[in-house]
Amino acid sequence: MPLHGCDVPILLLCRKAFMSNKPRITISDPSLRDGNHAVRHQLNREQLRTYASAVNAAGVHIVEVGHGNGLGASSLQVGLACLTDTEMLETVRECLTSSRMGVFMLPGWGTTRDLVLAIKHGVDVVRVGAHCTESDLTERHLGFLRERDVEAHGCLLMSHMASPERLAEECARMEGYGAQAVGIFDSAGHYLHTDVTERISAIRKAVSVPILFHGHNNLGMAVANSLAAAEAGASIIDGCARGFGAGAGNTQLEALVPVLERCGYSTSINLYRLLDAADLAEKELMEKVPTISSEGIVSGLSGVFSGFRTKVVAVAEEHGVDARDIFFELGRRQAVAGQEDLIVDVAMELRKSIPETP
Amino acid sequence: MNSNPVKIALLGIGLIGADLLIKIHRSKWMQCTLVAGRNREAVGMQRAASLGYPITDGGIDALVEQPQELYDLVFDATDAISHIRHWQLLQTLGKKVIDLTPSGIGHMVVPSINAEDSMAHANINLVSCGGQAAIPVLTALSHHVPGIRYIEAVTTASSLSIGRSTRLNLDEYIQTTECGIRVFTGVQAVKALVNISPARPPANFRVAMSMLAPGVDPEAINAIVHRAIEVLRSYIPGYRLLTCAVLNKERVFVTVEIQGRGDLLPTYAGNLDIMNAAAVTIAEQYAIARLRCSNPPALQKSIYE
Repeated sequence: MPLHGCDVPILLLCRKAFMSNKPRITISDPSLRDGNHAVRHQLNREQLRTYASAVNAAGVHIVEVGHGNGLGASSLQVGLACLTDTEMLETVRECLTSSRMGVFMLPGWGTTRDLVLAIKHGVDVVRVGAHCTESDLTERHLGFLRERDVEAHGCLLMSHMASPERLAEECARMEGYGAQAVGIFDSAGHYLHTDVTERISAIRKAVSVPILFHGHNNLGMAVANSLAAAEAGASIIDGCARGFGAGAGNTQLEALVPVLERCGYSTSINLYRLLDAADLAEKELMEKVPTISSEGIVSGLSGVFSGFRTKVVAVAEEHGVDARDIFFELGRRQAVAGQEDLIVDVAMELRKSIPETP
Repeated sequence: MNSNPVKIALLGIGLIGADLLIKIHRSKWMQCTLVAGRNREAVGMQRAASLGYPITDGGIDALVEQPQELYDLVFDATDAISHIRHWQLLQTLGKKVIDLTPSGIGHMVVPSINAEDSMAHANINLVSCGGQAAIPVLTALSHHVPGIRYIEAVTTASSLSIGRSTRLNLDEYIQTTECGIRVFTGVQAVKALVNISPARPPANFRVAMSMLAPGVDPEAINAIVHRAIEVLRSYIPGYRLLTCAVLNKERVFVTVEIQGRGDLLPTYAGNLDIMNAAAVTIAEQYAIARLRCSNPPALQKSIYE
């Protein structure tokens, strides 16, 4: 049992926040969405319930839930989920009293029908994503959400593939479509902190809505990158318990929050309860705590979507090729999330190029 | 040029329309008599004008005001939502329409399977580029593989080959592709997904197909897939098999790539070519059938019958 007597707001532990005029940071926690990648989309109702209740108690602002690739994505291509979207949404909705419920959708994978379903099940925030330069794919769905008065964020995935100027333009476009927050995902965990500063600063100049940042930890930079994002003007930062997410994992939530507070940003999240939620997540949700494996590093270096990891490792073993070679080849082809069908092709081609050993 | 070509009105001159115009230009069976777009400054309109075709920026309204003998057949290369109204108007005029949008309103035709159906229906729907690429292979498999319980098709097209209408029509694209796969294969559990690739140089258009069925025989699958692709290559020569495998003994996994002729865009834009090759194939068969109206046309028979 947690020691409720020690439930002090994190603010008290980090005095700097008192004296700061830095903005409040909204924390969005995709553990129950991005984390699904790490367990092949097999999170069950009990797991969702346990974790959603725990982070709700900690005062985390947005709790995202769903298949790792978002609404409507359960498929052979990226993995069949153990629960339907409806089951996931219903389960988490019941557990949230103060936190808001979020979902992710990628046009081309999810459709307006999925949005209707999510609205029916009480979603508060919908993140509509598109790859780096493709923001106009979000126009229709952002518009649909705004007409129904649902908070909508526009997110650029695989954002390392585009220049800061281009990302800024794309974000401005999504603001024009009605997005109430816009920003970038470091889907491959490729960024260094300076990359993030440059990109968020450019976006800051181009938009007036809040800016969001979603990190991955392939190169061990996720917390530093998230802090750089905040320093450059992002005010919605994603983090997952123990980094529970695709590939090498996301920004570690329970480290991110105190780091932000020490730097003078307030979150109003309860530290002890947050730590309890993370401990619970480690015990109840994960097969293993995300680590920066060798493939994770290669995935980050080559700029390949973190979510490819499980599949690349399996296909590499099946075809007797080096997973690292697959990652670098996928990186060369600039594969984006959703193009998992390339993995087998690449493995088979690499296999052909290996000389037969006598 | 044939002495009595089919007179074509082309409605919509975005990427699909502009590529189609080049293919119409090349055909001896068709003559484009009007290009109806909405913006005189658009690249496609300029191109149509430079090829010497009459253009109007009045869209469907200008089209329906034309003398009826100006055109016999309309290619609708606009968008799924606009097609609803276009069809209402064109239907009353008794025009034959080949719909290249994923509206799903008309009778679905995939030339290698049911080209002959297009003679009997006034509104022909070409499903989608992913549908045109996947349905022939999936249908051939469905005729030989018992107990298929699920089909999935994932289309990846280069960002540069996807125009604004398609970008706004992704929902219809998915819905109509799924519907097309259901109609032709008879399998109800179907999922279609679309990726738009930002890669540079651009990625070739490709489709990955998966099918779940018990105890499939890899050799038989291979033969069926190769045979289906051979037929397709007769009108879309850039169609190429990349992978044909059986994974975990129950998942047929086929990936194909389609390179275009490089008409409007370079060869990566096979998505334009597979739609437009289907459109041209059907229109040419219609032209031939009209010429032989006294004798029933010798139509290409489906190989699956």
